[in-house]
Amino acid sequence: MVCFTLCGCDRRDETSSTSKASTASAPSPAKPQPREAIELLFSYGSEKQKWVEDVTATFNAEAHTIGNGKTIHVTTVASGSGESKDDLLAGRVKAHLWSPASSVFVKLGNAESMVKGSPLVGPTKELVLSPVVIAMWKPMAEALGWPNKPVGWSDVIAMAKDPSGWAKYGRPEFGRFKFGHTHPEYSNSGLISILAEAYAGAGKVRDLSVDDVNSPKVADYVGDVERAVVHYGRSTGFFGRRLFEDGPTYLSAAVLYENMVIESYAQPMTVPLVAIYPKEGTIWSDHPVGIVQRDWVTDEHKQAAQAYIDFLRAPAQQKKALGYGFRPAEGELGAPLDAAHGVDPLEPKTILDLPSPEVTNATIELWRRNKKHSNVVLVFDRSGSMQEQQKMIHAKAGAIELVKMLGSEDELALEPFSSSVVSLPGAKMSDGRADTIDRINGLVPDGQTLLYEAVQTAYRKVSADTRSDRIRAIVVLTDGEDNGKRVTLEQLLKEISGGREGGTDVRIFTIGYGQSARLDDLKKIAKQARGEFYEGKPENIRNVFRDIATFF
Amino acid sequence: MQCPRCSEVNKDGTRFCKKCGAPLTDEAMAQDPIAAAASRRSRRRWIVLVVLIAGALVIAMRRRSAPTANENQPASPAPTVPNVSTDDVVKLGIAYGTEKQEWLTWAAKEFAATAEGRNIQIDLRPMGSLEAAQAIVHDDKDIHVWSPASALYKDVFLRDWADRHGGERSAANPIAKESPLALTPMVFVMWQERYDAFHSKYQELSFPTIGNAMSEKSGWDAIAGKPDWMFFKFSHTNPNQSNSGLMALVLMGYDYHGKHAGLDGRDLTDAKFQAWMQTIERGLTGAASGLVSSTGYLMTSMIQRGWSTYDVIFVYEASAIERLQQANGRWGPLRVVYPKYNMWNENPYYVLNVPWSDARHRKAAETFLQFLLSDRVQQQAMQHGFRPANLNVPTNGPESPLVKYADTGLQANVPGVFCEPPKAEVIENLLLTWQRSQTR
Repeated sequence: MVCFTLCGCDRRDETSSTSKASTASAPSPAKPQPREAIELLFSYGSEKQKWVEDVTATFNAEAHTIGNGKTIHVTTVASGSGESKDDLLAGRVKAHLWSPASSVFVKLGNAESMVKGSPLVGPTKELVLSPVVIAMWKPMAEALGWPNKPVGWSDVIAMAKDPSGWAKYGRPEFGRFKFGHTHPEYSNSGLISILAEAYAGAGKVRDLSVDDVNSPKVADYVGDVERAVVHYGRSTGFFGRRLFEDGPTYLSAAVLYENMVIESYAQPMTVPLVAIYPKEGTIWSDHPVGIVQRDWVTDEHKQAAQAYIDFLRAPAQQKKALGYGFRPAEGELGAPLDAAHGVDPLEPKTILDLPSPEVTNATIELWRRNKKHSNVVLVFDRSGSMQEQQKMIHAKAGAIELVKMLGSEDELALEPFSSSVVSLPGAKMSDGRADTIDRINGLVPDGQTLLYEAVQTAYRKVSADTRSDRIRAIVVLTDGEDNGKRVTLEQLLKEISGGREGGTDVRIFTIGYGQSARLDDLKKIAKQARGEFYEGKPENIRNVFRDIATFF
Repeated sequence: MQCPRCSEVNKDGTRFCKKCGAPLTDEAMAQDPIAAAASRRSRRRWIVLVVLIAGALVIAMRRRSAPTANENQPASPAPTVPNVSTDDVVKLGIAYGTEKQEWLTWAAKEFAATAEGRNIQIDLRPMGSLEAAQAIVHDDKDIHVWSPASALYKDVFLRDWADRHGGERSAANPIAKESPLALTPMVFVMWQERYDAFHSKYQELSFPTIGNAMSEKSGWDAIAGKPDWMFFKFSHTNPNQSNSGLMALVLMGYDYHGKHAGLDGRDLTDAKFQAWMQTIERGLTGAASGLVSSTGYLMTSMIQRGWSTYDVIFVYEASAIERLQQANGRWGPLRVVYPKYNMWNENPYYVLNVPWSDARHRKAAETFLQFLLSDRVQQQAMQHGFRPANLNVPTNGPESPLVKYADTGLQANVPGVFCEPPKAEVIENLLLTWQRSQTR
């Protein structure tokens, strides 16, 4: 799914730190275009968003032309690598150029496309590179022996499995070891994390086979690591920003790209981050760009696309990439790729050998079976106003998307509210998915909006579930303001800020659906509970729910 | 025989001087630009003489004959050397291996600005060597000249052409003329730091020692007590898609059997050879996810990813020369080592004699060839890391990369034994053997 229209909100997953009218995933702002223009659509992995938007603005302003005199205009769309691949394969997004974060996705995409007889993209070239690293707070990294001792996946994994956490390394004040990586089906760094886990579980650094991946030893290993994961997420940018904003108590470490570690130094942080280059090996995110091989890409498009690619790889743009913390495909290295920014340009010393698409897919399946499972309460507004403008119909469709995307071990409890709050028991998706969908479909809009009481009820219910190895979350959808007055916002905020330790925070996602919703209040709730706020409309509500689903 | 360029004594029948690469055989000499130019000059002198005499005779005869109604007609024009009509632009399609892309693209642009170049539209088509051979065999009418990286594919091409167009190999040779354009030998390129460690243990860098290094289960820990360098990482390009990859296999064959010519079926079916090759080929970086398909790309990859991905690669000397400075700036110095058994990649320019190519195409091809072999263009080739085919251009001047970067191990006089391209059947068997080694 591509986020064209999730606008105007503080959602931080893929946006740059300033909120603006056109967000990260909206197309670059329309400019008045010269009469004869050839339009290109560039779909790319959001990790390089800042650089792409910067240099594309320059490219468009410079009015480059193709042989017949037409001016080239590029519209860019940022999304997760996995998503952009699926959208392209399905023809949902008719891009002319594609650049996922890694050639792993190009291989997967081409393999899937070959079933229909032709590859998805032509030969690719790198735009920029950045190795996957374990981003960790400097004092924690030092506790592990960095930089004097090689540190790797095995150390992180051992910590993940150890309930005594940082106390083992003489730093009990850091608490438990909390870890995060993105959802491997949507994001490159997540995929690399699970490949690294599988390699570590199999005791190998190369030649990972399907048999290895399907062995009980590796399954157990991956399960153990994943238990230390706080939650998943849609993009590396999302994790990066959470790390930067919420500090060491939120996560001990996250699997990120080297460029994000460098980026963290652009803002004041009480504790600096450093990049650990795993001793067993890591993988390069090599940002390949290729011209899409589909019938909507004409020869003119190909010409224009090549001109744009040549521009991106030209010295001036490559130098800019370095400024954003990437290793340029062409050109020299230099600041900020240095120790002052927590990184080492002479690393990595070794890589994990990228496996074939078969093994990659087997690893994703393995992860689905052994990932951290979730316990979600869906607080769903069914007040009378939901009747208007088809809000209810679309909201139901969105909620059903979420239900469909949950794994079979995940649990969802539906909590519809209006003048009263109905707290239904949770259902495991393995046998309760159909019922849950029926229940959602059966909701009828009628009554008031006891919003805060509903959230409080959900919070207490989820907190009562003491299974510590689950992601616990509440998703709140409302179109209006609380008019119950039984619970105040202040009371609610106070209650939901408890229980920070143990990595089992109950996270709250709030969706402000429609004009009457009190967006500021919803933002406060999400922030307090370390969740996310979304501004939803009937047109995009399905995408909002799918975005939330990548968290689980 | 003695090399005309460097005076090295070579075995009779060797095609190129083993020290400096200058062409040696009659066939190669016939393509030698200096000799060709000399013979053209003498031929032209003859023609001019004939024309003058003929013209004089005609004028004399006309003066004797009675005046006719056509008295004022001009004398019939002197016969001229057949020339391309200035109204006709000949489109010349050149299928070529991408390792010379920058140089050729520059040359084509320069050529377009010349007087001769105005009537010839050079259509450059970068293609893999095998791909191009196949295209020509299947009558790709857009190709009039073929220039792969080396002569490895010539015999395969001739045989496939004969098979498809009937007749034996000797009849109707589809190659009208061939000439080397620019030469480069094969090299191992390795990070200096890792080379030093490797050298301490194995003393030499060769396919056999690389095979040994790859067999070490604990990798660099066993080789040099460097566990954080992990396993030994070697790679070359995909032999099915790239000349340098095929070269790697051929030279592995020659090295293993200790010969420099006549690599044959028996050598390939040798069980020990096959096992040895398999160890190396299955252990290459990229063996699982796919070997790189172009040599330039492999070299670029080495610069971008450094020693994390490749300790050593097998590429053209020209590829290494192009990237030496960049490598140093990113990771550290590189070391260039010539394999014990080597082969010249002479970038042969094959003017095709095929049904869709006529006299105009062949003339245009010849004209462009002479341009490519001219001093200035050959000097530019050196800037791209190649050794010139034109013997007038020296390789050991101070500006020559071979001299400037001698501290990396580059040498103007290449050490080692130079081998001959094997026959088509052997090339194919080698590729089949390789394919089998890749199945898991």
